[in-house]
Amino acid sequence: MEQAKEKILEIKDLCMDFSSGRKQTVKALNHVTFDIYKGENFGLVGESGCGKTTLGRTVIRLYDPTSGEILFNGKNISGKLKKADRDYITSNLAMIFQDPISSLNPRMTVEEIISEGLKTRGLKDRAKLREEVAGILNKVGLLPEHGTRYPHEFSGGQRQRIGIARALVVKPSFIIADEPVSALDVSIQAQVINLLMDIKKEMDLTILFIAHNLAVVKYFSDRIGVMYFGNMVELADADELYAHPIHPYTKSLLSAIPQPDPVSERDKQRLYYDPSIHNYEKEKPSFREIRPGHFVYASDSEMEQYQKELES
Amino acid sequence: MVFYENDKEKYDAISKDLFRLVQKDEEIHDVEFKTKPIGFFMDVWLRFVKNKASVVAAVIIMIIAFFAVFGPGMNEFRFDEQHTDRINMPPKVPFIAKMDIGIFDGGFTLENRKYDNLNDPSKYPEGSVLAIRNPRLVSGERIVDVEVDYYKYMGMEDDECFWFGSDYLGRDIWTRMWRGARISLIIAIVSVCCNVVIGVVYGSISGYYGGKVDMVMMRITEIINAFPRIVIVTLFIMVAGTGMFSIIMSLVIKDWVNTARMVRSQFYRFKGREYVLAARTLGVRDMALIFRHILPNSIGPIITSSMIAIPSAIFAESFLAYIGLGLQAPEPSIGVMLSQGQKVLLHYPSQVVFPAIVISLLMISFNLFGNGLRDAFDPTLRGAE
Repeated sequence: MEQAKEKILEIKDLCMDFSSGRKQTVKALNHVTFDIYKGENFGLVGESGCGKTTLGRTVIRLYDPTSGEILFNGKNISGKLKKADRDYITSNLAMIFQDPISSLNPRMTVEEIISEGLKTRGLKDRAKLREEVAGILNKVGLLPEHGTRYPHEFSGGQRQRIGIARALVVKPSFIIADEPVSALDVSIQAQVINLLMDIKKEMDLTILFIAHNLAVVKYFSDRIGVMYFGNMVELADADELYAHPIHPYTKSLLSAIPQPDPVSERDKQRLYYDPSIHNYEKEKPSFREIRPGHFVYASDSEMEQYQKELES
Repeated sequence: MVFYENDKEKYDAISKDLFRLVQKDEEIHDVEFKTKPIGFFMDVWLRFVKNKASVVAAVIIMIIAFFAVFGPGMNEFRFDEQHTDRINMPPKVPFIAKMDIGIFDGGFTLENRKYDNLNDPSKYPEGSVLAIRNPRLVSGERIVDVEVDYYKYMGMEDDECFWFGSDYLGRDIWTRMWRGARISLIIAIVSVCCNVVIGVVYGSISGYYGGKVDMVMMRITEIINAFPRIVIVTLFIMVAGTGMFSIIMSLVIKDWVNTARMVRSQFYRFKGREYVLAARTLGVRDMALIFRHILPNSIGPIITSSMIAIPSAIFAESFLAYIGLGLQAPEPSIGVMLSQGQKVLLHYPSQVVFPAIVISLLMISFNLFGNGLRDAFDPTLRGAE
């Protein structure tokens, strides 16, 4: 973060609609705009169903965005993809999935699962494949002997590490971690997070970290974006966001974090977010910078109000 | 014990740098598994053998298959060999006949015979009379029903016998029945294989791509499914003549639709799974996704449904043969034999009983076997029993 900020991923006005039924559409992403800088951990939080996962999957092009642009290293990867573009995406972006059970094919051995990405990149030599797989298994704390086993023989944490190994073996520069620890036991969560941190340093990765556990996100991320119903409502540096939350939704989200302190927990005031406090009929809201590096989704009048709050 | 003093300032004042992550430098280390790796099919096998009924069914299927292959060669008769002087013989197996338990002894009841003739060796050769029943007087004549060893009654050699009897042309039922079972099995298996191949390809494409492709492809299957089978068979017989080809084609043309639908539903079930998405993010091509990720996971339902399709194919074939749309004579099939046998059912029940037993056993065994396979392939039942 200290070095010159180089944008690795730019998302501009990204919309993703899903049609449900004949006429209805669900706006899973509604004009989302933000950038991710090279080498940072970008945390994405929000309640269930707010579009975090959709955002991650749209970036890696599992979904075709309805409108908007995704630039990766300045190259447009939204819209129709040619084969070369798709290869570009798959060789630079990788994804870690949420569910360690369903994200591994039960009919393939660990070695087959991990080496699949290498094989699609044209690596055919068996000895070389085995060597690569053994290397990455060691890196995620598993033994090369585990390669011949099937996923159901592993525990949840081990499976998640296999999933991480699968994403890392192709040496991507950008990783989308879609709630990589939310399905895991608390004791394993720290292992996996620390593993991700170490590997990130070692391999010079940028990570888009999607989660709903705010404690994990705070620990892990440099910057945090808060999403609410398909909108990015607030974006700031991690410390800034926790110290000075502006948007009412962020405030309510932060007030929900349990503290390891029974004294303050006892008389904690939970804040509830009521979207009807916004009056967006007359004034259209937009996503704008309220302080350097701190963005919020607000209308003009709200902006003034937020400014006052910040100064006081 | 007091964990927290009621002094918030004191805790907040502690510098962040003093905190250290406990697990930070801890090496994650996993031990090697002690157990042997169990592959998918090994797992299936272990669960299959737990189901006793389906194991028995599998054994019965194997026995029938064995006889279907070797049965016709076991005696000296050929399936189309006629003995017009030995028609409608009852079943006789020499060593069972010697045990004298009343079955397979060539026994046949002659009704309303004169009692006085029983001792006439020109009418009843020596040793041919097995039992005398129901003596009565009719117009002063002593009348009885005589159960005779029909082979001796006809004056045949001791070692010449039809194990399961002979039919109205004097053809050996044992040979014809196993040959018929063989043909029924071939028709069933070939048609089910064709169904599976066509159905898997069609269903995969339809299920994988979804949307409009799926819509159009499914409407086509509905149209095909709307034709009555009898019409299709009749058309094929008109074009290609009677024979295996017409029957197999008529079974294939309609039945692949079911396989295709089943495969399609499996694809819908699996294509959104995270491991499929994960493979897509790695740039795995469509064909590899279909054949490496989705199909292997739906192999269980495919195998199971084709196992259950076999008895219905056998039955459909027999049904067609029974109504006279079957194979060209003298080629036997179980349906043909049932249809011929039912004409003489009251006099010579053995001509129906044996083929009926075989087809019943085949159908129930394939059904039980298919059920066992379904349970074995369904991992949701893992550990349920």
